[in-house]
Amino acid sequence: MQPILSFRNVSKRYANGAHALEDITLDIRPGEFVSVIGPSGSGKSTLLRLVNRLIPATSGHVILDGRDMARLRGADLRAQRRKVGMVFQNYNLVHRLSVFQNALHGRLGHLGGLRGLLGLYAEADKRRAFDLLVSLGLGAFCYARAGELSGGQKQRVGIARAIMQDPKILLCDEPIASLDPASAKTIMETLRDETRRRNLACVVNLHQLDVARAYSTRIVGLRQGRLVFDGAPDALDAAALARIYGPGHVPAAAPEEAAHAS
Amino acid sequence: MPPDRALPEAVRAERRAYALFFGALLLVVALCTWGVAFNPFELFGKGDAFWTFLSEDFWPPRIPQREGRLEAILAGIGVTFAMAVASATVAAVLAFLVALFASERVSPFPRLAPLVRGAATFVRNIPALVWAFILFSSLGIGTGVGFVALTLSSLAFLVRAFAETMEDLSQDGLESLLAIGATFPQRVAHGILPSCLGGFVSWYLYSLEVNIRASAVVGMVGGGGIGLVLFSYIKAFNYHVAFFIILLIAALVIAVDWMTGRLRKELAL
Ligand SMILES: Nc1ncnc2c1ncn2[C@@H]1O[C@H](COP(=O)(O)OP(=O)(O)O)[C@@H](O)[C@H]1O
Ligand SMILES: [Mg+2]
Repeated sequence: MQPILSFRNVSKRYANGAHALEDITLDIRPGEFVSVIGPSGSGKSTLLRLVNRLIPATSGHVILDGRDMARLRGADLRAQRRKVGMVFQNYNLVHRLSVFQNALHGRLGHLGGLRGLLGLYAEADKRRAFDLLVSLGLGAFCYARAGELSGGQKQRVGIARAIMQDPKILLCDEPIASLDPASAKTIMETLRDETRRRNLACVVNLHQLDVARAYSTRIVGLRQGRLVFDGAPDALDAAALARIYGPGHVPAAAPEEAAHAS
Repeated sequence: MPPDRALPEAVRAERRAYALFFGALLLVVALCTWGVAFNPFELFGKGDAFWTFLSEDFWPPRIPQREGRLEAILAGIGVTFAMAVASATVAAVLAFLVALFASERVSPFPRLAPLVRGAATFVRNIPALVWAFILFSSLGIGTGVGFVALTLSSLAFLVRAFAETMEDLSQDGLESLLAIGATFPQRVAHGILPSCLGGFVSWYLYSLEVNIRASAVVGMVGGGGIGLVLFSYIKAFNYHVAFFIILLIAALVIAVDWMTGRLRKELAL
């Protein structure tokens, strides 16, 4: 199967000189659920932001759905961004708008001109957003302000918004870092189920090892901007962990999170 | 009372700083009074003429009796109110559009943002009254020019205020719209506007209050409205009617402040 996302010798250096990523080469195919793990500052967020060019790569090629992101401008760039659903640690909702409107934001990239400006979404999109919110357990909150929800509920709205885009790939930057274990479990299950059902690819940055093991089809390990592990969860042994986190710094599993494994 | 050296050093330093500040303030005030060559205590001592003027020439207020005079005054109040509302509203709409380019975090051309802000600061630091004089010299007098003067000064003020409101907005909500593939106008309409509307309305109401006062003053120098009517009565030494007009202006200011206060409460700004 063709990869939906390819990194070819990608490096990223920030203006202040920080080498965030060094020579990353990686292919991700539809149906894969990839967890990216690594110590804080190892470049996980940078990796995701390069995909839809929220930040530009310094060298190498990021190829999304067959197109090199570096060359794209204006409408072409926006058309590529539409294919990428993004889920954020801080949910990044517009708090003053309703849950329903936030979910519909996923359609903005598909609406042109005046319709997009005024938010005149198609009836079919509205029905779909409503059904999706109901299926995520948010039916009763459709008309609540997004700012009034709990963290777990906000993150489900974030997922609904990403799915409304009809994306080919989901990127999730620490989606459960601010959530309690029960909400975290719901979110991870939702991500896994939606990825399977829609045959998407999903890339999730995580700092909980056991969660990564429980849900992923594949794990990628970063250390100081370099790719030091890429394999199945089973292959993530003590030696691999020492390569990723450094000897003696492997994070201990929290007891509640260990219970996620299924 | 413990001796001074028993106090901690920080407290003594603060006392010294206060003593220094008030000492310097006293000196500056004394120098300034000397500079303007007017002793403020004269108002109370030899100020009989001033008090007689207030108590006999102004008091009591009088409603003009001659046909059409009262109507002209009320029309003037109406024009002043209209000038203030129209200029604040037009300024707010324009300021919203300009402010989008005055904030680095929002503008599609962040490098130009300091330029836009600089221009707004420059225009803002020239009071509406000075704008009025400049415009009257070039365009002649009338409510139209008064309107332009008020619009210009509120526009410059609101550009700064709106841009700062947008700067305070967290970048998170905007970034998600960028990631979705939304265009700049879409990000403005669906991210910035809903998040900042409360702040914008609050600043708009404030500039409405400011404009009510300013439009009376701009009117006096030729901008029309109640200011011009008041000035004509003062020039004719008709102080009783002038006092009546001043009371009307005060009532208008209080009414508008009350109204904007109510609106703020209703909108929970
Ligand atoms: N906007 C930025 N400007 C400069 N340096 C940055 C920026 N964002 C991240 N970095 C640096 O790049 C490196 C990788 O950061 P990041 O991708 O956020 O790592 P992670 O998400 O794994 O914690 C870090 O050293 C960080 O300090
Ligand atoms: Mg990060």
